[in-house]
Amino acid sequence: MRLPHFEYAAPKDLDEALRLLAEAVGDARVMAGGTDLLVRMKHGLLKTGLVISLAEIEELRSIRFDRRKGLTIGATARLAEVASHPDIRRRYPAVACAAEKTANVQVRNMGTVGGNICNAAPSADNAPTLMAMGAEVSLAGPKGQRLVPMDQFFKGPRLTALEPDEILKEIRVPIPPPYSGASYQHLSARGRVDISAVCIGAMALFEGDICREIRIALGAVGPKPMRALEAENVLRGNSWTDDMIDLAGRKAAEESRPISDVRASAEYRRQMVDVLSRRAVLEARMRAGKRRQ
Amino acid sequence: MEQFAIIGKDINRNDAEAKARGTALYTDDLKLPGMLYGSILRSPLAHARILHIDVSKASLLKGVKCVITGEDTPKIKYGNWRLFPETQDEYPLAVDKVRFVGDEIAAVAARDRDTAEEALSLVRVEYEELPAVFDVESARLPGAPVIHDYCPGNISVNRKIQYGDVEKGFAESDYVREDEFHVHAVSHAYLEPCSALAQVDQDGRITLWSSTQVPYIVQCLLASTLGMRENDIRVIKPYVGGGFGGKMELRTWEFCAALMAKKTGRPVKFTLTREEEFLAGRRRHPMKIRSRVGFKKDGTLVAKDLRIQLDGGAYNAMGPTATFLCGNFGAMLYRYPNYRFHGEHVYTNKPPASAMRGFGAPQSLYATETQMNIVAQELGLDPVEIRLKNAQVSGDKIPDVATISSCGFIDSIKKVAEMSNWRKKRKNLRPGRGIGIGCYSFISGGVFNWFNTTYPFSAAEIRAFSDGTVHLLTMTADIGQGSDTALKQILAEELGLRMEDIRITSGDTAMTPQADLGSWGSRVTLMGGNAVLDAAKKIKAQLFGAVSARFNMNVIYELECKGGRVQAKGRPDKGVSFGEAVAMVQKANRGEPLVARGSYTPRDKGLVTPAFGFGAQVAEVEVDKETGIVQVKKMWTAHDCGTVINPKGVEGQLCGSIQMGLGYALCEQFVMDGGKTLNTNFLDYKMPTAVDMPPGDVAHVETYEPEGPMGAKECGEGLASPTAPAISDAVYHATGYRCRDLPITPEKILRGMKRS
Repeated sequence: MRLPHFEYAAPKDLDEALRLLAEAVGDARVMAGGTDLLVRMKHGLLKTGLVISLAEIEELRSIRFDRRKGLTIGATARLAEVASHPDIRRRYPAVACAAEKTANVQVRNMGTVGGNICNAAPSADNAPTLMAMGAEVSLAGPKGQRLVPMDQFFKGPRLTALEPDEILKEIRVPIPPPYSGASYQHLSARGRVDISAVCIGAMALFEGDICREIRIALGAVGPKPMRALEAENVLRGNSWTDDMIDLAGRKAAEESRPISDVRASAEYRRQMVDVLSRRAVLEARMRAGKRRQ
Repeated sequence: MEQFAIIGKDINRNDAEAKARGTALYTDDLKLPGMLYGSILRSPLAHARILHIDVSKASLLKGVKCVITGEDTPKIKYGNWRLFPETQDEYPLAVDKVRFVGDEIAAVAARDRDTAEEALSLVRVEYEELPAVFDVESARLPGAPVIHDYCPGNISVNRKIQYGDVEKGFAESDYVREDEFHVHAVSHAYLEPCSALAQVDQDGRITLWSSTQVPYIVQCLLASTLGMRENDIRVIKPYVGGGFGGKMELRTWEFCAALMAKKTGRPVKFTLTREEEFLAGRRRHPMKIRSRVGFKKDGTLVAKDLRIQLDGGAYNAMGPTATFLCGNFGAMLYRYPNYRFHGEHVYTNKPPASAMRGFGAPQSLYATETQMNIVAQELGLDPVEIRLKNAQVSGDKIPDVATISSCGFIDSIKKVAEMSNWRKKRKNLRPGRGIGIGCYSFISGGVFNWFNTTYPFSAAEIRAFSDGTVHLLTMTADIGQGSDTALKQILAEELGLRMEDIRITSGDTAMTPQADLGSWGSRVTLMGGNAVLDAAKKIKAQLFGAVSARFNMNVIYELECKGGRVQAKGRPDKGVSFGEAVAMVQKANRGEPLVARGSYTPRDKGLVTPAFGFGAQVAEVEVDKETGIVQVKKMWTAHDCGTVINPKGVEGQLCGSIQMGLGYALCEQFVMDGGKTLNTNFLDYKMPTAVDMPPGDVAHVETYEPEGPMGAKECGEGLASPTAPAISDAVYHATGYRCRDLPITPEKILRGMKRS
């Protein structure tokens, strides 16, 4: 299909990008890797007069880890860079795993975690873990920057908290507390290179055997990535039993709002929310245990 | 067993380096001065009458050079079954009606692709939508919408096979069962989408470069649909990135490129997008299969009654052959004293199904092999034992069909059982693991002359030169399977030359000898190879004469071509170099070049094929009982392809077969909304990737096929069949769920486990 005509700008700094975005009054799109945006434009799903590439803005490309502030993933850090970053692999294995399971090699070499989030597909691989780990996104706009928790970032399919004149600057993931662990679980028809039909992120924090905090986030089973709050309530504040984990799985399945599409039926997705939620919390607990030692 | 110098060696393919480096030129890489780009308008409706087409706006768009609809064509129908003209049911562009979503209506040629596509959006078509049918049951009902006027019942082909007395056989059986199987459509998913480029020369003759498996068939049918003479069309096949049966007919874009090149005087190229390939491309036939089998208590087969309805989609394409072959495949593998088959090819308003690797066998054998495993279970026999008891053997005759002259089936079954440690694993595997078996037999090219060619089935020309080289010309089509390399090996072996002494020109209908029916049905090695040998023997006869005269040899001497020399056997002193021998022949003939033609046409070989390949495969799987996801842990294969010409080439075919079988068994399918295909990209059409490939072991059970060149027969297509039944049986072994409707999806496994 034909890529329609559009203007292209690649500003050198964020302020310039923000200015171009404001001037275009709604007729511009911000591009990170372009692996979603350009494909959607080519298929006629999206029209815009101006594409503003963030590729030339050095500061947005960076991945930084700080022992106090935690992890900062710049808006244009590539999926492949996140998946292979030594600090992320060591301290945020679930984040690395989600980036590694996104799409295929070619897309990971171009696409970004930031773009995956802003594109706001319900199946975005990177959303559930970031939600579960309590990440925040820093949004830059004409009036300055604001922080939005990942929980409140997604508004619906392809809808986010970004105002038309705002640009996602970076994603901040707090330091995982001691005795905590996180997990990413996903599933699809093909096996190792595929879009997820269901994806789940979980993080659990323990004090002895008692789970002090738990967050379970579900992807591809509702109009937007969502928390499984009732499932969390089953597990929070308790020493987990098998029955309790089973119940949490069932609750998560009940909370999910899947649809049937070309990738899976709603019924199967719901069943898999049950299975993958249990696996995610168990892996999170296992990883928390390892961090204790 | 003969001792070979080049046959059976891992010879690097002559196209390997060009492909690895990216320098190999495929049709879409070709660009000619002034070339126009074509694009096709396709029907959004599954069944409709075309009331009016308005191309005026499209024609006026800047950069558009030509717009055509059915009205601009000679309206001549075509189809591969020329022997039965009533089966030829397709127009290059729709005339009066469209019959599936994606049916071709109009074509635009413009200065670039974007302009062509924009022009398409300006074509206005008025339709009268008609009721449509999407499955064989509805299409066969009285009062169902009629898809082709000539065929009021929508059943375009009826095929029956019968031998023995089936009813008597069932009466004499101790155990009779009937099962119904449903198998689905999958895509060839060749990595090179279809592409064609046409140019008209000053005499009005057309040259067409096309990504095709069948240059000769395209030449003939293009000529007939354009109302031209065959020799006015030259078809050249550049490098082709796979076909698997999906590129073995004349197609719309080949016709449009030629016609529009004629109309504009400029070269015109069409290349399909992947979306078009998935939306409207050919696919494997879905089939509804009812199979009734009768056995003795000890597992001896007595009778089989097989009824198959093929969902052909909107046109016949290669459906008649698939109907013919799925009936033969239903009875090839084992000895069936009493057999009856009734196949019906049914029109529906879906993209046409056609030939696809295995050509009816993967479907038919999925039913045969799965049912065999069910019977083994029911009779308390090991699946391996029941197969050994009934397996075809060398010398078996399939009544009125074929004689099996070489058969390594029993050895293949025994070997694969041994390699996979079958007996131990079938008894105790850890929970979630399963092991299963599937087998196949396949043809080495077809005998039935549906194309009604008046030429030999395969032909070769060899030109020998005094510098010690030869030039092999053949119309066979290397589409990625490596046939050019295999034919060179056969020739090098026969003439005692090295690979680098041979130049090959293949797949150019104006240059290469008439004719060759193309690459399908695993025919090239046997048929093309025999034609090469035939020509080589004629060359040798002349060389031997010259050398014999030169050394004044006693007539009882045997001569040979060996190591680049032509000499008396056992007396290398009585001989000259190959080039010198050629020069001698040439001198004796007062300068006439040394050229010989050879050909092959199977004769007195029954109705199906001159030779059969056989094999057995075992799959080990692990099933996640919570998610239903199947992981294939390992595949073991033992097969008989006669003499192995090129082991690496054969293993490549095997890997490709497993990859396709894996997709067919587990994850590939078209998601349809009525007649519309929804998953038209590789994101949602779940073809297994390189990282999904299981490890595997292979054993070549070599036999010597008397009808094949150097004893060789098919190896690339039969192996497309056993993978799905083997995986299915392994899933059953692991979970208790027996799949009767492919693909074996996680959802079906979970539901099936709940029931069992």
